[in-house]
Amino acid sequence: MTEYVELHAASAFSFLQGASQPEALIERAVALEMPSLALLDHNGVYGSARFHTSAKRNSVRAHIGAEVSVSTLGARLTPPAWLPHRHKPEPARLPLLCESRQGYQNLCQLVTRFKMREATKGPGAATEDDLADYAEGLVCLTGGDEGPLAAALAQGGESEGRATVERLVRIFGRDSVFVELQRHQDRGEEARNQSAIRIARSLGLPVLATNGVRHATEYDREVLDLFTAIRSGVELNQAGRLLSANSARHLRPAHEMAAIFRDVPTAVVATVDLSARLRFELDDLGYVFPCYPVPEGETMDSFLAKRVAEGVERRYGPKRNRGLDEKAKKQVSHELSLIARLGFAGYFLIVWDIVQYCKRNDILVQGRGSAANSAVCYCLEITAVDPVEMELLFERFLSESRNEWPDIDLDLPSEDKREQAIQYVYQRYGELGAAMTANVISYRGKSAARETGKALGFDEDTLGRLSCLVSNWEWRGKNDTMAHSFKYAGFDLEHPRIAKYLELSMRIQDLPRHLGQHSGGMVICQGHLNHVVPLERASMPGRTVVQWDKEDCADMGIIKVDLLGLGMMAVIKDCLELIPQHYGDKPDLAQLPQEDKVYRTLQRSDTVGMFQVESRAQMASLPRNNPTKFYDLVVQVAIIRPGPIVGQMMHPYMRRRQGKEPITYAHSSLIPVLQRTLGVPLFQEQLLRMAMVVANFTGAEADELRRAVGMRRSWERMKTLEGRLRAGMTANGIDTKTQEEIIQQISSFALYGFPESHAASFALIAYASAYFKVEYLAAFTCAILNNQPMGFYSPAVLVKDAQRHGLRVKPIDVQRSDWPCTIEHDGAVLSVRMGLGYAKGLRKFTAEALVAERERGPFRSVEDLVQRVRLEKKELVRLAGVGALNSIEGVEHRRDALWQVERAGKLEGPLLRQNSEWLLEDSEIQPLVQMDTHERLVADYAGTGLTTGRHPMHYRRAELRKQGILTAEDLKLVPNGARVFSAGCVIARQRPGTAKGFIFISMEDETGIANVIVTPDLYEQYRVTVTRARFLFVAGVLQNQDGVIHIKAQHLAPLADGALAVTSHDFH
Amino acid sequence: MKRAEVFACVYVRDFPAQALLRLRPELRMKPCVVMAGEPPLEEVWALTEAAHRLGMTAGMTKAEVETYPGITVLRRSPGEESLARAALLDCAGGFSPRVEECSEPATFRCVIDITGTQALFGQPTTLIETIRARMSALGVEASIAASGNFHASLALAKGLKRGDTKYVPCGKEAQALGALPLAVLDLPHEQAETFGLWGIRSLEALAALPEKELTSRMGQAGRRLRQYAWGEAPHLFRPIEPQLSLAERMELENPVDVLDPLLFLANAMLEQITLRASARALALASVSITFGLEGGGSHTRTVCPALPSNDRPLWVKLLHLDIEANPPMASVVAVSIEAEPGATSKVQLGLFSPQMPEASRLDVTLARLRNLVGDGNVGRIVLDDTHRADGFRVEPFVMSTSKATEAEAAAFCTMRQLRPAEPIFVTLQAGRPVAFTFREQRYLVTRAYGPWRTSGEWWSVTRWKCEQWDIDAQTREAAALYCRLERDGQRWQMAALYD
Repeated sequence: MTEYVELHAASAFSFLQGASQPEALIERAVALEMPSLALLDHNGVYGSARFHTSAKRNSVRAHIGAEVSVSTLGARLTPPAWLPHRHKPEPARLPLLCESRQGYQNLCQLVTRFKMREATKGPGAATEDDLADYAEGLVCLTGGDEGPLAAALAQGGESEGRATVERLVRIFGRDSVFVELQRHQDRGEEARNQSAIRIARSLGLPVLATNGVRHATEYDREVLDLFTAIRSGVELNQAGRLLSANSARHLRPAHEMAAIFRDVPTAVVATVDLSARLRFELDDLGYVFPCYPVPEGETMDSFLAKRVAEGVERRYGPKRNRGLDEKAKKQVSHELSLIARLGFAGYFLIVWDIVQYCKRNDILVQGRGSAANSAVCYCLEITAVDPVEMELLFERFLSESRNEWPDIDLDLPSEDKREQAIQYVYQRYGELGAAMTANVISYRGKSAARETGKALGFDEDTLGRLSCLVSNWEWRGKNDTMAHSFKYAGFDLEHPRIAKYLELSMRIQDLPRHLGQHSGGMVICQGHLNHVVPLERASMPGRTVVQWDKEDCADMGIIKVDLLGLGMMAVIKDCLELIPQHYGDKPDLAQLPQEDKVYRTLQRSDTVGMFQVESRAQMASLPRNNPTKFYDLVVQVAIIRPGPIVGQMMHPYMRRRQGKEPITYAHSSLIPVLQRTLGVPLFQEQLLRMAMVVANFTGAEADELRRAVGMRRSWERMKTLEGRLRAGMTANGIDTKTQEEIIQQISSFALYGFPESHAASFALIAYASAYFKVEYLAAFTCAILNNQPMGFYSPAVLVKDAQRHGLRVKPIDVQRSDWPCTIEHDGAVLSVRMGLGYAKGLRKFTAEALVAERERGPFRSVEDLVQRVRLEKKELVRLAGVGALNSIEGVEHRRDALWQVERAGKLEGPLLRQNSEWLLEDSEIQPLVQMDTHERLVADYAGTGLTTGRHPMHYRRAELRKQGILTAEDLKLVPNGARVFSAGCVIARQRPGTAKGFIFISMEDETGIANVIVTPDLYEQYRVTVTRARFLFVAGVLQNQDGVIHIKAQHLAPLADGALAVTSHDFH
Repeated sequence: MKRAEVFACVYVRDFPAQALLRLRPELRMKPCVVMAGEPPLEEVWALTEAAHRLGMTAGMTKAEVETYPGITVLRRSPGEESLARAALLDCAGGFSPRVEECSEPATFRCVIDITGTQALFGQPTTLIETIRARMSALGVEASIAASGNFHASLALAKGLKRGDTKYVPCGKEAQALGALPLAVLDLPHEQAETFGLWGIRSLEALAALPEKELTSRMGQAGRRLRQYAWGEAPHLFRPIEPQLSLAERMELENPVDVLDPLLFLANAMLEQITLRASARALALASVSITFGLEGGGSHTRTVCPALPSNDRPLWVKLLHLDIEANPPMASVVAVSIEAEPGATSKVQLGLFSPQMPEASRLDVTLARLRNLVGDGNVGRIVLDDTHRADGFRVEPFVMSTSKATEAEAAAFCTMRQLRPAEPIFVTLQAGRPVAFTFREQRYLVTRAYGPWRTSGEWWSVTRWKCEQWDIDAQTREAAALYCRLERDGQRWQMAALYD
């Protein structure tokens, strides 16, 4: 049987130059029984990690390489000048294959060198000198149409071609240059092939057949052409010769390649020989995590142990609990010995170093994720949850058998502070020692529809209309397909052009478009990161990214530290500054008192603005869970997740919590493990402990079991582990029926369970946010308004909620407001003053100039304001419209201000102004009528997105009462099952993936928030009302169960809103 | 003493719909929409009252329209709109020689200066009623308002319901305008936004603003708007000029089959037309001749030389050649000629330039060539940017000032394309041609190179696919043939011969 290996394939990771995912190429290789396949993406190894992972899974050998642009090897072949075409000059591309690890490291360094040579993000190109520096271990092909040989043949005929190949031989050595032949049924190409064969023969070089693959199947050529049009910024109709001449560049079976190259059979045989020679695969990366520099006479382990010992004193000393202290020391020493055995001390020290830097620089930082299981992390102040006190399981974080680096994520306040921490890491490990992980930007519904439409020649208006309609709900019903969006946008799907448009938009879904940078994932490497993966410039100045994303890095075993921005951390940080300033208290975040008042608030679901517990689903479950202590909050954070809901853990837990179901255990030995969660396994740590208790698994084995269950593909491994589990249980005298039950429990929840440590870390922040909101409402409201956007609710809702809780929120006032919101003292009462930042369209630097100018004395008139501060007319109009000028002397009301600014905005020259008596207006009459309440509301929402006045629904209450429409507060008094009418302003719409197409709408009125459930059928009936209406009327049946109130809608109607521009948060 | 002026404004809403329904009275009371735009992306452009009542609006897409049952959908017709417009202007011109047209994209609007027409047509109230009735007879429901101020009548007419009339005596304009919304003034977005913020929603509120203060805020534009609101804005009337019509039509008493008498008629008609054009210092840029045919139908030909001309014999010659090449398919019962005016051509060649044939003679020569080889086959060949083998187009000759670029001297051999390609019979072996019969001669393939494959335009109905082979073949008598074969499924064709 003929064998053939494709050694020149590019994936969609050649961004818009390849049409198939790496996985699709592998899938096709498997179908063609091709034993190996090489991936050579343009100027990088972007897709190699996924290619390798997929190849491993399918027992295909994955060869890695790249097509590298070389500026000194001539310009890439273009049609001759006398033919009309739109090709832009580009350097030729040299295909390089990695023969050994040295070759791979050289390729990474080569790409990094020319990528980093660019001042900004750009393709870049290597030179022959670069190639010469990094040629070792690389095999060079002469390329197809894009290659240097084709370029040279076009430039100077066969003699030039021979010279180019000779240059390559000088760089890479005679054994590592292959003269490449590609046959795509093209006359010109064949003429070049004949020259190539003669050149190879004359130089004694082997010829190698490839197909220069750009798409997995013939059909995918359409996607390639579409990408070409998008990449070149032209419509398909105009793309002409830029597009492929035919559909030949797909992965072909061996027999076809043999037939095509029947006149040069050695070219096909050479592919198999070369494939055998390419020993390098990506699991041989040679990645080493950096060491942490320690003082003379210390090892990293001893240094870490000392820091941890200090931490034990610091963390456990104040608790004055000898038992706990002893336990902690024991746990710490267990962890340290494992860390020493695994050689991870450096990693912990590096993270500790980052945390120390943050603390020194006043940056609030807290670890999340499984790191919270580690007492060492707690002692190093990386995490804030005490794993010893909470009895968290260390093995979930680190185990001997796992052969994987630990993963620590740090939460930082977003924006500047996080950037400061990131820059510290860059500075400490050098430009080639640390980089951000990439974020592959892929085509999604909207972008796919927009770019495809553009390439097919649809106009902007049409595309805009379509983009608005492409559904972004997380749950998609049968009518939420792209086809439906097209139909709603007014497209006729019968039309062949539209049908093709739709088809193409769907086919390019998930294909990568370009590379961005991950928001916080950083990789750090011992020595040089550029030996492991190429680095390139990010579009953000001062940032470099690696060519792999977070998952790829994890798959390749590269360690990363996630420096994540968490809005609530910034809020907490602000609260910690505002509270001492305005309340005189000094709360200690590590020792916040456990207040009943806080828990009572949580029990009432009065949680708008609180971290993790503010969503509709959380609010609906809080009264049932009825949290009374911190651990209840840990459960609360973990249980309202898609996982536990799908895994059907939420309801049994809640029923047991409410005493509606007896608490039972599959086996008595599980009582200590599951007692805390009322016999229902909720956390991944519990799975580990269950296996340890019932079947005598070690921590490491138990973690292997968790991972095996988690990976759907590893059935084989799972079977072996299940056998051991059963054997262990039998040895412990557990009967078969109970064994089944336990195994069922383990397998059903392992997929969905949440790490307890992560829940605990988040619960800490959730409690802190609840505590601050309850105890220091003004500070909390001020802080959260200053850190928008974040969380579930818009500032308008946050303000209304604060007002309902008795806080006075004052409107923007140029005489008092700063850029951020501030706290004001009215005697002993605190109130929040809205900041100038909330006036839409007001530039920050103008606002700051205004504030600085005000320091010199208040503004005496509108004219005075205009003369002292350089405000644009539209900014003045905005400020006047939202009432921010009302406190200036001589301003009666907003319209008066608007009238005045219109004049003040048009200044005469200074000369005229000095003698402007004759310009003085003779009329003292105020011609404009004061705004009525509705007009003020409209102006407030249009100008600031919120109102500090009364809720819009308040003004309509009398009329609504007459119609029997109830408020959110009224609904609490209505018995379950009664038919009710209600109305309100829509503040959130959600269609969770777990809710089978049900839609949840939160409606706010002046008394609070009411929740509405819309069934999928009703949604189909009132689609526009559900997605568009800003004020909604609902008729339906009230569900009042366990203090959780919903209206199950039967009829919906929009409530006329008089153009109030209220926005809701719609969740995907 | 200057006589008080009176202006009547004719305002036709949903004009594209009304223009179409003028000749379709049965649809007028039904819900109809007029759509315009490139299919499949048409939008509603105008509607009937009945469609408005159903809640339909302009801008709706086809799919949205389809959700309403029983709607008649019509395509927008610029031709019919133009005819309706001409008819309305003609009607307006019947009441006064001074008519100014100020139409908007989907409305027809004109103002008639009816000052001093009282003796002829009665009081303005009567007159506007008469105009309305006359237009109604034309099949168009117009709203008509008359007042002493041009702009006031425009605003008043826009504020009226379809088919209503209103006369506001001189001096009462402000009062009548007061209740109207600001929207009747067609304000630019920025001004509309400012007035919105000020709470000014009616012309009355606008009129009440102090003039000096308003001017200091909005400049002269503000002052002018205030004048509109008071019904005092001055206007320089710009009456439309009588349309230059370069058209002639003649019905024939008997059907004519022969070209000569028709050309004789054309000659006479062209004489009239060229006279009118020359009177305005214009020349004819193109001439269309339409023959009304026996049994219905028509046959139109347009000739368009390189330069506009009033040279009648030239036009007759060009028409002659064109009609000879494209004769009408039935006897002719009517002849109409329409011409497009253009600037008179004056091309002065350089003093020392070599003599060239006159442009008009070249036109005649080209017309002769077109006559011989067919339209679209005369001009210069331009290669298309496509992989398609026969990707070229013919463009009209243009005078080029740039130097011709030298083509690369890389032709190795000459290829003669057969147009159209000739079907042949090919014998295959393992999918490759081994023998074929061409022009009754059997050839054995010595060498076959290929298949060379190209394909493209997969996104449209014009998708194409091509498979070619370069063949080196011989007859039994050892006569060689180098050729290019094309294969389309099972069909083989001889596409080209190599020299």
